[in-house]
Amino acid sequence: MSAKTEQAVFEYARGYQPSSLNKTGGWRVAAPEKIQRLSPCRSDCLLHSDVPDWMEAVKGERWEEAWQIMSRTNPFPSLTGHVCFSPCMENCNRGRLDQELDVPAVERAIGQWRFDHYEPPERGEEAKGPVAVVGSGPAGLSCAYYLAVEGYRVTVFERSYTVGGMLALGIPEYRLPREVLDRELSILEEEGIKFVTNRTLGKDLQLPELTGEFEEVFLATGAWLPRVEKLPGMDKKGVFHALDFLSMVNTRQHPELKDPVVVIGGGNAAVDSARCALRLNGINHVSLVYRRSRAEMPAYSPEVEAAEREGVELIFNANPGLIEADDGTGQITGVVFNYSKTNREGLVVDKSRSFNKNCGSVILALGQEADHSVFGRLEQKMPLFAGGDLVTGPATVTEAIRAGRLGAQGIMARIENRAAPDLYGFSEQPVAFEELNLIARTDLELKDRHADPALEAARCLGCGTCNSCGVCYLFCPDLAVDWINNSFELDLDYCKGCGICVVECPARALTLEGGC
Amino acid sequence: MPYELISGCQAAALAVQRAGVELVAAYPITPQTAIVETLASFEARGELKGEFVSVESEYSALSCCNGAVAAGARVFTATSSHGLAYMHEMIQWCSGARFPIVMVNVNRTVGAPWVLDPDQGDSLSQRDTGWLQIYCANAQEVFDIVLQSFVLAEELLLPTMVVFDGFYISHTYEPVDVPELEQSCEFVGPPKFKPQVAPGEQANLHGLSSGETQLQLVRKRHEDMLKAPATFSAINEKFNRLFGRSYEALEAVIPDGARTAFLAAGSTAETVRWFLPELKGCGLIQLRMFRPFPAEELARVVEKHDLERLVIIDRNCSTGTGGYFAQEAKAALYGVDRRPVVQDLVLAGGIDLTVDILAHAAEKGPESGLTAIQWGVDLR
Amino acid sequence: MKVTGYSMENEMMYSGHNACPGCGGALTVRYLTRALGPNLALAITASCWSIIAGAPPLTALKCPILHCPFPSAGAVGGGLRRGLNAKGHYDTTVVVLAGDGGTFDIGLQALSGAAQRNEDYIFICYDNEAYMNTGMQTSSATPFGARTSTRPYPLFKHGQKKDIMRIMAAHGIPYAATASLAFPQDMENKLRKAQEMKGFRFMHVLSPCPPGWGTESSDTIHLSRLAVSTNFYPLFEIIGGNKWRMTYYPEKTRTPLKEYLEAQRRFRQVDETTIEALQEEVDHDWEGLLKRVGTSPEETQEAPEK
Repeated sequence: MSAKTEQAVFEYARGYQPSSLNKTGGWRVAAPEKIQRLSPCRSDCLLHSDVPDWMEAVKGERWEEAWQIMSRTNPFPSLTGHVCFSPCMENCNRGRLDQELDVPAVERAIGQWRFDHYEPPERGEEAKGPVAVVGSGPAGLSCAYYLAVEGYRVTVFERSYTVGGMLALGIPEYRLPREVLDRELSILEEEGIKFVTNRTLGKDLQLPELTGEFEEVFLATGAWLPRVEKLPGMDKKGVFHALDFLSMVNTRQHPELKDPVVVIGGGNAAVDSARCALRLNGINHVSLVYRRSRAEMPAYSPEVEAAEREGVELIFNANPGLIEADDGTGQITGVVFNYSKTNREGLVVDKSRSFNKNCGSVILALGQEADHSVFGRLEQKMPLFAGGDLVTGPATVTEAIRAGRLGAQGIMARIENRAAPDLYGFSEQPVAFEELNLIARTDLELKDRHADPALEAARCLGCGTCNSCGVCYLFCPDLAVDWINNSFELDLDYCKGCGICVVECPARALTLEGGC
Repeated sequence: MPYELISGCQAAALAVQRAGVELVAAYPITPQTAIVETLASFEARGELKGEFVSVESEYSALSCCNGAVAAGARVFTATSSHGLAYMHEMIQWCSGARFPIVMVNVNRTVGAPWVLDPDQGDSLSQRDTGWLQIYCANAQEVFDIVLQSFVLAEELLLPTMVVFDGFYISHTYEPVDVPELEQSCEFVGPPKFKPQVAPGEQANLHGLSSGETQLQLVRKRHEDMLKAPATFSAINEKFNRLFGRSYEALEAVIPDGARTAFLAAGSTAETVRWFLPELKGCGLIQLRMFRPFPAEELARVVEKHDLERLVIIDRNCSTGTGGYFAQEAKAALYGVDRRPVVQDLVLAGGIDLTVDILAHAAEKGPESGLTAIQWGVDLR
Repeated sequence: MKVTGYSMENEMMYSGHNACPGCGGALTVRYLTRALGPNLALAITASCWSIIAGAPPLTALKCPILHCPFPSAGAVGGGLRRGLNAKGHYDTTVVVLAGDGGTFDIGLQALSGAAQRNEDYIFICYDNEAYMNTGMQTSSATPFGARTSTRPYPLFKHGQKKDIMRIMAAHGIPYAATASLAFPQDMENKLRKAQEMKGFRFMHVLSPCPPGWGTESSDTIHLSRLAVSTNFYPLFEIIGGNKWRMTYYPEKTRTPLKEYLEAQRRFRQVDETTIEALQEEVDHDWEGLLKRVGTSPEETQEAPEK
C-alpha cells in the first residue's frame, strides 16, 4: 500500500466530512407544505384584508411590504384605522388568551408610514381612460385610487366644495382628524387624480355629458337623503336632520342649537350627532332616544359606550309621537314620546303611555337613502358602474372602499377587454382557537397590548398563516428548516417528511397532504 | 550506577514513572497489585507526573485509557489473567483504533479453578488482537522493555503488551539498574503522536465503516506491525548508546556444535540460560517479541546452526492443540528445508522449571515423531 | 424558547444524518450540542447514535466524536477528560452520550464507577426505553407493560423501569436532571447549569422512538409533552444528591396516563386493570417525588418554565 493510499484510508475512516453531503430528502414519502388557511380576522374583515400577512410584515418592521399587502385591498389604512368598526377584532383568537390584537392601531401605523414615505410616481406619457367618478366619498376615492395606480386618468366630481363625502361631512372630527383626511387627499392629488368640486349631478352635471366625455363612469353618490317619516312638528324651527347637522359642524358653520338637545334615532349618525352636540358651546344636556332596546341599536357599541361616558342620556323603547312648538315663536319646546318595543310582529307602539321631553332642539337621525333622481334617464349602453351607499343603502366606510376597488377592477376589465376578476368569498371555516397548537409556543408571554405597533403585531398568532414563530425550526430533528428571505422555509434536500413541524405548527399553517 | 533491589512489579512501576506517563488507570489483581500500589505511592510522594485513577474494573481501566489516549495523552495500565480476559473487547478495540497504549500483563493462570501460579495462556489467548507482545525474562528486562515500549507503541501507533511471569518475576527481588529520571526522559521524549480528539476539529472516530474500509485498515495494521522488529532494533540501538544495554526480538545463545535448542519466553528463558552450561549440546533461543512472531529470524537461526531438535518450553497449553509457542514455531519453520523435530514441553499452570526437567527433556526425544507433547510433570 | 439566531451557523449538527424520521435522539443531540457547544468533545457508546452520527467519511456533528464499545461509556468519559486536561484543553466540555442500554444495563457499572469517582464530565442518557438500535429488545428502562421484540405479543415487560435518577442521587453527584424534548428551554437551562459545574453531571432525556414505540413520526414532541403532563416523566433536578427541585409542574388537572399509553402501539395489549395499576404506580411515584422536593411547590420552585 502506498503511503498516499494509507493516508487516504486513515482520512476516510476518521470521518472528517460533514454529513450534509448525504441528501436525506430522498427518504420521504410526503413533504410538508406551507398553506394559508382562513383566519377569523380575514374572514370577518369587510375588505377581506390579508390581516395576518401585513401583521407579519409589521412585526418584522418591513413597512414597505406591509403597505403593499395592505393596499391590495385597502389604500387608506389611516382612514380605516380611525373609523372602521373592526369586525376583525371580534373573533380574534388572541382574545381568548389575553387581549385581542389592536388591529386599528397597527393599521394606523402602516398609514402613518405611508404618509411619511409617500413619493409621487413618475407616470409615463401614455395614460389610459379617462374615467369619471361621481362622488368623492370613500367609494369614489377608492375607485379613483385603484384606477390611478394602474395609470388611468381619473376625474372625481363632487357636489360640495369640500372633498371626502361622509369622511369630511358625516364623521365627526374627534373620530377622524381633519389633517389625516387632508393628507390622504393630498396623496391622491399627487397620484394625478383631478378633483372637480361644486358640480352636482342632476344640476350642473348630467350623465349623458359624462358618459360622452369619459370612457367609463363610476357612480358613488352615497346615501344622503334623510328618510322622511311623518312626524308632526318636524317642520318647526329647531329641528335638524342628522347629516345636515354633522356637515354644518364639520364645515365650521354654527348650527343654532338650543339646550337641551334631543337626538332621535339609534344608528351611528344618531350617536355621532349626540356626541357632537354635547361638544358645542352652550349645550349641556343631550338625550339620545331610540325606539327599540339598547341591544337592538345598530350603532357600534363602543361608540354608544363612549357617548354614555361623555354624559349623553340614553333613553330606550321610546317612539316619537309629536314635536311640540311654541305657537308664537314657532320654536320647538319638546317632544312627546310613546313607549314602544319590538315583538314578533315588529315594532309595537303603545300610544296610551307617553311622556314629554322638553328640549330646545331636535336632531332627527332616522336613516338615509340614496337619491336616484339625479341620474335622469338611464340608457342601456351607458358605460356605468356604481358602488357604495348608493347601491347598498347606508353601510360603512370599509364596505365603500371595497366597492370602489371592485368598481375599478370592473372598469379596467371592460376597457382592456378582458374578464373581470371574481368577487371572492370564503367557503372554508376560519381557524378556531381550539385548533391552534399554542402549547408549542413556549415563547408566548401573556400580556396586554403593546404601544409599539411592531410589538403589538408580534402578538398576532397567525391563525392559519405562517407568522415565523420558529416552532418548526426548533423541533426539526433534521435541521431541515432554514431562515431564508425573512421567513422559515423547508429544505427539501434533507427533509425526511417526519411531520413533526406539521403537527406542532401553532398556527396550523403546514400540511402533509401534498406529494413529495 | 547504583542498582536497586526491586521486584518485577516495582521495576514496571518505575519504568512507568520514568516514562512520564500522563494517566494510569488500573484495577488490582494478584499478582499485579504491587504495580498499582507502587505507582500510588509515587503519586503520594508527588513523584508521578500524571494522574492515577483507581477504576472499578479492568474493562473500565482500559476504557479510561482509551479516552485519554484518544486525546493524545501517554497512558498505562496493568493487569493479569482474569482481568485481561475481562478487557478482551477493549483490547480488540484499542488496536483497531490505533491507540498507542502500553499495558503490562503479569502472567497468571486463567481459571477455573482459581490458580495463582503463572501460566502464559492469559496473554497468549490475546495474541490475535493486534497488540505487540514482548515477553521479559527478568526484572531488568521488565524495566527496560516497558520504558522502550512507549517509544515503540507511539512510533507504530499500535498498543503494546509487556508480559512477564507472575511470582517468578513479579515478586522476586533482583538487582536492577534504574536510570535517572532525566536520562530516561531524554530517551523516551514527550508523546509525539497526533491526538485523535482535537477540540474544534470535527471527526467521526471509529464510526460505522464498511468491510472494504476495514480490509484496508487491517492491511495497514498488519503492515505496520511487521515493521516492529526493525523499529525495536532501532530503539535498542539508541537505548544501548544511552544505557549500555540492548535486546533483540529473538536472541540465540547456541554453542558450537549444539544441535538442540530450547525455545523459551519469559522466566523460563532465564532458567535455561542459567543451566545452559550443564545441558551438553544444547542452546537457547530466547523469544522476546512474540507478536509479530519473528518467523524469519527463527528460520535463519535454525538453518544457520543446522538444528535438529527444538525443545519448546510452553508455560501454557491451547487445549486440544498444545503449547502456543510450539504451534507458532512450527508454522514459522514450515518453509525450512530441514525442519527440526519439535518437542513441546508443556508447563501449563506454572509449575517450576527445574534442571531435572530440562535435563530429561534434553535427553529424551519425543515419543512419536514431530508433534508430541511432553508434560512437565512427567519429566521430573 | 426564544428561537434566536435563526441560522444554521449556530447549530452544531449537520442535516443528512441517519436518524429515522421523527427521531427523539436526533433532537436530543441537536439541543445538547447547541447548548454546550462549540468547544465540545463527545464520546458516544453503542446506541442508535453510533449509526446516526454517520458512516465515515461523513460526520453529523461539528465537534469530534469518539465512538466507544458498549459497556465503556462511563470510563471513557473520565479518560477523555483527563487526557484533554493533560494536553491543556481545560475549556473543552466533555460529554458522554449513551442510550438506555449503555446507562441502565451494560453500562451501569462504568457509570456507577465514574459517578463515584466524581469524574468531571456530563453524562447524557437519551432513553428510548429499549435496545432500539438492534431491533427494540427489552432493557431495564423499558416501562412495565410495553411489548418489545424479546417480549412480543402477548407477552410484555414485567418489572418496573429502573429508577436511574435515584440511583444517581445515591452517588451524591453534583447534578442530575431529567429533560423532555417538548420543553427545550428547560433542557437548555439545565445543560447550561450543568456546564458551569465541575464533577459528575448526569442528564436523563426521554427520547421517543417512532418505530420502537409504535407511534407516528410526527408525534415525537406530542408524546414528550404527554409523558410530562401525565406525571409519567416528571421534570426535576437533583443537586448534590439530596436537594430535589421540580422544574415544571403540570397544570392542575393532570392528564390521565391512559391517554399516554393509548397513543403508543407498544402498549396495545395492556388491559384496564393494568392501566389502573400503572396509574396508581405513577401517582405513588409522583407523591414520593413531591415529598423529596419539599413541602410545597412554591417554596422550592422558581417560576415554572415552559
